[in-house]
Amino acid sequence: MSLEAETGTDETRWAVGVNRARTALGRFKWLQDHPLTWILPALSILLLFRLYPLIEVFRMSFTDMSLLERTYSYVGFAQYVDVLTAPGFWTMARVTAIFVAVSVIAQLVLGMILALAIDYGVKEHIYGSVSTRVAVLSAWVIPGIVIGIIWQLMMIEAPYGVLNYFLTQMGFGIVSWLSDPQMALFSVIAANTWRGTAFSMIMLYAGLQQVPRQLYAAAKIDGASTFQRFRHVTLPQMKPVIFINLVLITIYTLNTFDMIISLTGGGPGRATQVLALFMYFKGFQSFNLGEAAAIAVLMLIVNVGMTLIYMRYLIDEEGV
Amino acid sequence: MATKSQSGRTGIDIEIDRYKIATYVVYAFGLAFFIFPVLWAISMSVRPRSAVISVPLQVIPNEFTLEVYRDVLANSDILRWVWNSLKIAVLEVAGILLFVTPAAYAFSRFQFKGKHLTLLGILLFQMISPVVIVIPLYNMMVEFGLMNTHIGLIALYIGLQMPFSIWLLKSYFDTIPKELDQSARIDGCNRLQTLWHVLLPSVMPGIAVVSIFNFVFSWAEFVMAFTILNDSSLFTIAMGVYSFQGQYSTDYRAIAAASVIAMIPLLVMFISLQRYFVSGLTEGAVKG
Repeated sequence: MSLEAETGTDETRWAVGVNRARTALGRFKWLQDHPLTWILPALSILLLFRLYPLIEVFRMSFTDMSLLERTYSYVGFAQYVDVLTAPGFWTMARVTAIFVAVSVIAQLVLGMILALAIDYGVKEHIYGSVSTRVAVLSAWVIPGIVIGIIWQLMMIEAPYGVLNYFLTQMGFGIVSWLSDPQMALFSVIAANTWRGTAFSMIMLYAGLQQVPRQLYAAAKIDGASTFQRFRHVTLPQMKPVIFINLVLITIYTLNTFDMIISLTGGGPGRATQVLALFMYFKGFQSFNLGEAAAIAVLMLIVNVGMTLIYMRYLIDEEGV
Repeated sequence: MATKSQSGRTGIDIEIDRYKIATYVVYAFGLAFFIFPVLWAISMSVRPRSAVISVPLQVIPNEFTLEVYRDVLANSDILRWVWNSLKIAVLEVAGILLFVTPAAYAFSRFQFKGKHLTLLGILLFQMISPVVIVIPLYNMMVEFGLMNTHIGLIALYIGLQMPFSIWLLKSYFDTIPKELDQSARIDGCNRLQTLWHVLLPSVMPGIAVVSIFNFVFSWAEFVMAFTILNDSSLFTIAMGVYSFQGQYSTDYRAIAAASVIAMIPLLVMFISLQRYFVSGLTEGAVKG
């Protein structure tokens, strides 16, 4: 450290300068050697924007807080009772369950097929492996709001809507993609699968690279067919990755908001109003913050439950 | 490889051919399914007005024009929205790096009591969707007087993205051998100098991945922007395109053009920086 090196004219001044700098740094040395010095800035942000709101959402769920009034009082579990006894809640729960279950299975299966194909294609130098990977992954970079809009453009319910145009060309009738309640749920699932498959594909592809090659060679020598090799070598070896992938895509899908709000807005009626939209509308359209917070707590319980399963697994498998 | 001569084909060759064909079929379907929606939005936006709702539909327009882009750029705030998003994303990335780099360094290099528990706590935060805490965050922004401001939105984004960024960057620090810092320390560097001169250059790919992911997040984020921004001139591009959709619900061409403008920067970035995305997705997801 030669903080005063430039100004020093002779040896002694230089040495004094160096010494002074050393002591100044030495004073901060214990600070530098304490981990909290490095972590504290990030930690305070986390406490402010992550932990505090979590505690706050619990507190709010026991109040009758509203967007319209400044005062509120504590009402115990009344909001939870209201939420769980309202008929709309169970309709929403059913819609959410179908949306999550079907999307997750579709993403996992499609992601697996693509990962296997690309893994094989890369090894056999098949033309198009990189393009396919780029195409699938680009769906993942597009903002959710834009995904909803471009799917809505494809699903215009007239002969000039492109999906309906293809269907009529093949001799089918026009489909009400977004105005028929059941079709709308299907459409939302299709768009969400389009968006989420990339993530599963890339995770499963990374998992495939971890399977020891000798296992395949050994299975081949034993006369196992390709399907048997997949069933008895690939799948068991991939179990941890598939499991982690399942947990993550379930959480992501459960919290979907942006894509649905621009594709259907939760409609027609409430046919595609999943948990996140249900909660948001309760708070910001019905102005009932207390009840919205109670729904958020239920959402939180599902999120945390899934995460604990995930963490237990991580700890067991890798000893993080 | 299987030859075309009939006598040379063995069972294994035929099997390989079958799998090659299957792979091509998967590629064809994959490419069609994943590229078509994007191409359709582009195709919709570059046709003349008369070709939008014409029957039979022109999948590829007969005539090409960019007139709707001119209209959208001239008659809406879209350039301002793009600028807002760019500004917010860059500041968010700068903020994240400032806070996360020292924290990731400490989590990788220090041993201290409660480290694993803290890391698991951070992982838990990462897993809890921002949507869950949007109502208290809204109240917080009202209390702080940060409603309808970019500062408020940037602060929220930094807070929300911090857990993921810490885990991701820590996993990059973990790949650098500890001997590297030790030799720097022996040469008389203090910790800050070691981090700055020795570790940062080696961890640059990790910094790049964290920056790219945060940039994409800020550009695409909707729920928070929707909650705290009211003023159309302050909208981010995601917010702006959504309001645009509501306003011009039947002008399909204009909506398509706005969507293309909103996604093109990310697609270009993604295609040119592909390998960073792939490593970030696998590192960030598998380990945390």
